[in-house]
Amino acid sequence: MIAGRALLSRSAPLLACLGLLAIWQVAALILKTDSFPTALEALRAVPSILGDKESLINILASLRRMAIAFSVAVAVSIPLGLMMGRNRYVASFFNPLLMITYPVPKAALMPIIMLWLGVGDLAKMLVIFLGVSLPVIYHSFQGARAVEEKMLWSGAAMGLSAAQRLIRIVLPAALPEILTGCRTGLVLALITMVTSEMIARQSGAGNILFNALDMGQYETVYAMIIVIGAMGIGLDAAFEKLRSRLVRWSEPGFDIPLSFA
Amino acid sequence: MNVRAVTTDFLLGIVPIALAIALWQAISSFGYAPVTLLPPPGLVFQRLAQQLFTGSFQHAIGATLLRLFAGFSIAVVVGVGVGLAAAASPAINAVVRPIVRVLAPLPKVALYPAMLLLVGFGHESKIALVAADALFPILLSTYYGATMVEQKLIWSAMAAGTPRHQILFKVVLPAAVPSILTGCRIGLVISCIVVFLAEMITSTEGLGHLLVTAARTFQAVDMFVPLITISLLGLILNGLLQAVRAYLLRGFPEV
Repeated sequence: MIAGRALLSRSAPLLACLGLLAIWQVAALILKTDSFPTALEALRAVPSILGDKESLINILASLRRMAIAFSVAVAVSIPLGLMMGRNRYVASFFNPLLMITYPVPKAALMPIIMLWLGVGDLAKMLVIFLGVSLPVIYHSFQGARAVEEKMLWSGAAMGLSAAQRLIRIVLPAALPEILTGCRTGLVLALITMVTSEMIARQSGAGNILFNALDMGQYETVYAMIIVIGAMGIGLDAAFEKLRSRLVRWSEPGFDIPLSFA
Repeated sequence: MNVRAVTTDFLLGIVPIALAIALWQAISSFGYAPVTLLPPPGLVFQRLAQQLFTGSFQHAIGATLLRLFAGFSIAVVVGVGVGLAAAASPAINAVVRPIVRVLAPLPKVALYPAMLLLVGFGHESKIALVAADALFPILLSTYYGATMVEQKLIWSAMAAGTPRHQILFKVVLPAAVPSILTGCRIGLVISCIVVFLAEMITSTEGLGHLLVTAARTFQAVDMFVPLITISLLGLILNGLLQAVRAYLLRGFPEV
């Protein structure tokens, strides 16, 4: 019975996926409009997109841009966030700037950045970088601020320099919170990637989606939605697995990301 | 914190913003970038001040705000409702939890074309997207806030004779308010971002649309104005929400 229950709780997300697809199927059958194909029709169009060489290259290029921009953003944001968390002056230096830039939609900077850098990979990666860095900085900041002072004092008493304390005490102690930020950042990277491609309309997954919409290929539209959605769910699940291995010692916090655009 | 510390914080915070604007001014006045690519800050702010009093710009702000509030309100009502229901009933929780797990990491922008096809190119599709994006942070923080309510509070309420069905509204909901408001704050910023993006992708009005039309005609000045406006709107709305929070939580111990 316990094994059955564990199996059920593990397969619950899968069941939810199937349930949502079933609701879609029923709704489409009831509405019966051209612009809303059934779930089965959309699923049937997925292989043809992934099988098409050009769209596959496009999607892979999108993912490559996303991976590079995400890694660079994480590498820059974690040290910055940690320093903000440990030093009041660094924090009050950067906080207002971050507060002003927070409500600015990063993908909306695309047209301006395109003016400067052209429509190439660099502009798109810069936009993703900007989108990812804010949540990672914020969570690293929160994590570093919550580190127990006593641990730092003991570290100092044992002769660790400030930089060593940051790497050997603050970083591990803040890791759960940092990884929460990275998880939000990952979902955000995907969102920014799709949106920037929707706005720049030159290549990539977002471009395929909106070109299909313009040309009225509704099955392709919904199939692309499934592909992008699956990427989001898959990346998130993979990252969650990594996170739970890295910080097995900490109590589980939010097990669902507070994702946003 | 004493007054002096606050002043130091404030001055330190001004520095990077001032530096950024100074750098911006320097780049354009030393001629590293032509005005068509990077207009000087003075020109942009002058243009912003001038635009704020034109009818068409106010109309654009109005359209954006309408969509933002409509979507955000739907997200608050649904998010708080479902979050509370999931916290109160294990049966609902068993259904909601896996669905949220699947839908939360899904990039909602990708659903936008489907919304366009289903509910049309007008206000409705943008409102639907804003609601979908702002929903999950609010739902999740309501849920976590409601499940973290101290059991003692519920017991004392029951001992004092509160009927079972009223406990949810008289004890759990008020106790979860700080957490709900944190979720609302995230949701509000998301609403700002999403409404702008949706308007950029397909729209005939609103701030996002202004940016796109400016971009098509390479009017760099007009591209900066909507961006600064949305940033200001975000700051103002955030400030309003903080005021609401301070009012609602006036009886709470430190939050």
